[in-house]
Amino acid sequence: MSASQSAVRSRAEAVQVSRTLDWMILFTVFTVILGGYHIHYMLTGGDWDFWTDWKDRRLWVTVAPIVSITFPAAVQACLWFRYRLPFGAVVCVLALMIGEWINRYLNFWGWTYFPVNFCFPSNLIPGAIILDVVLMLSSSFVLTAVVGGMAWGLIFYPGNWPIIAPLHVPVEYNGMMFTLADLQGYHYVRTGTPEYIRMVEKGTLRSFGKDVAPVSAFFSAFVCIIIYFLWHFFGRWFSKTDFIDGEGL
Amino acid sequence: MKTIKDKIAKLSFVALLLAVTSAMFYTPAASAHGEKSQAAFMRMRTIHWFDLDWSTDEVAVNEQMTISGKFHVFAGWPETVDKPEVSFLNIGIPGPVFIRQGSWIGGQLVPRSVTLELGDTYEFKVLLKARRPGDWHVHTMMNVEGGGPIIGPGKWVTVTGTMGDFVNPLTTLTGTTLDLETYALDNVYFWHALWMSIGAAWLWFWVKRPMFIPRHIAVSSGKADTLISPLDKKVAMGFAAGTLGLVMFSLGATNEQYPITTPLQAGLMRGIKPIEMPETTVTVKVEDATYRVPGRAMQMTLTITNNGDSGIRLGEFNTASVRFLDADVTEDESGYPDDILAEEGLTQSDNSPIAPGETRTIEVTASDAAWEVYRLADLIYDPDSRFAGLLFFFDEDGNRQMTMVDAPLIPSFI
Repeated sequence: MSASQSAVRSRAEAVQVSRTLDWMILFTVFTVILGGYHIHYMLTGGDWDFWTDWKDRRLWVTVAPIVSITFPAAVQACLWFRYRLPFGAVVCVLALMIGEWINRYLNFWGWTYFPVNFCFPSNLIPGAIILDVVLMLSSSFVLTAVVGGMAWGLIFYPGNWPIIAPLHVPVEYNGMMFTLADLQGYHYVRTGTPEYIRMVEKGTLRSFGKDVAPVSAFFSAFVCIIIYFLWHFFGRWFSKTDFIDGEGL
Repeated sequence: MKTIKDKIAKLSFVALLLAVTSAMFYTPAASAHGEKSQAAFMRMRTIHWFDLDWSTDEVAVNEQMTISGKFHVFAGWPETVDKPEVSFLNIGIPGPVFIRQGSWIGGQLVPRSVTLELGDTYEFKVLLKARRPGDWHVHTMMNVEGGGPIIGPGKWVTVTGTMGDFVNPLTTLTGTTLDLETYALDNVYFWHALWMSIGAAWLWFWVKRPMFIPRHIAVSSGKADTLISPLDKKVAMGFAAGTLGLVMFSLGATNEQYPITTPLQAGLMRGIKPIEMPETTVTVKVEDATYRVPGRAMQMTLTITNNGDSGIRLGEFNTASVRFLDADVTEDESGYPDDILAEEGLTQSDNSPIAPGETRTIEVTASDAAWEVYRLADLIYDPDSRFAGLLFFFDEDGNRQMTMVDAPLIPSFI
């Protein structure tokens, strides 16, 4: 076979090779995102995502969406810009959550014996689906940032409430009131995580009484718009092909 | 010959990979907590733990044990460590091998951080319930914001039984009795599995058709708009509507199922009551102090004045949780860990009782291998070469008085 000949001899073979490449690329993309996004989210969201006694109605609601919209924005830009594939956000979040579950189950539970009901990850799927659908229907990164980014921030808390609500039931314990999540944090000793580094219920939203979560979610949603813009540019830049001028070589 | 060499090279490479991979499976349990690595001045000049009692050194899964005692917050707290204005009474164990069922300072439950005052002494108790079998080094510990963990003495405790038998029952304010060990676990798995399935379904809808090469060709040739069909848009709208519907439905159903929920509880606890320590009748002045590196011994020249009405003798020097006792005066009856107890580690030039009103200058030597083993000798490399500790004096009736010492330390290398 000379260099000018095709590596495939029929259309069927070409389709087969193309599909094989599809799966290889998808697998590679999935695992690279799993690792990169996971490290990013652990470093920036960290304890808010690790422990139920950090999943509060102020800072968790604010921080988790802001730091998690990053990779979905970048991967969406790449997959839509180059391939018109509208699953950038979902593939990111699925990879992240699979990675997180492996980590929580094997390390947190299997290695250090923290109960899984204390260290499960946050649910980001609802926001990811909305983000992908908005991009697909609008075909506009501006609309995706504004509508999708805002939806990403707003839907985070209601998307997680069914999972964490049972742990916010109050309990009287030795003369003090706790939520069950607080008690998990107190009972299951984390020698390296003293109580005072727990950043929960801090802030000045007292005038909103008990309805703090929606205010935090709106603030988070606004910041998500900005972060989406920023990271979608990273995605575009990362997926750009530059050709070098041959004369300069 | 070349073939054999190649085979040997290949096999060697495979063997190396196998060796490296198998190393991942060697994960021995962490037995201790780096307590010896903590800077000596942190252990000597911050929190002084004393009168400690581990209620048992063997306990079965689901059984309880306590660690109780006192700690003195050193008035000469080092400038390089933040003051204990936000502190948390912790317990130094390798993960949740016990659960902490309660912790008290001065009789007050302290599940949250507290403010401690310099120079005060506090009584504390930690109630633990055994969870995971094994031999565990159980330490007292005080976390100080801006200072880090300040670890106290540790004792080996054996937990027997099976972790599968562990239960953590609680009754909520809504009257439900549950086991916190497994509570709501099915709910967590259910929602995560459901949402991840929905996400996977969306992904599958797109990956089941040709993806990268044909679509890239289409986009490059200006046919990007043909890649999204009207059916795709309908399916997408279905996913979006389904997502919003499921979120709203699950939110409503959850609020119906759990009508009473409260926010996470947090906040600093102030006003923790210290022990009313009896007025001390002994005054101690450190004339000089040296640490003899070759002899692993600290020598102090102390001028002691007894202002009380009965004779007193120096019986113990306690620093960084290492106890140096004068066996002629006192002995340990608490089962204190051997490795940090020097039962005959304190010698004095004159240990006869100091009479009421008498002032006496004596040479005191605290010597034990613990200086090296617990890396307290590293104090000589600190930027602020000072030592501190507690001195315990005993009168003829066995009554005890505690005084602090805090002075510069000069190393001696010969």
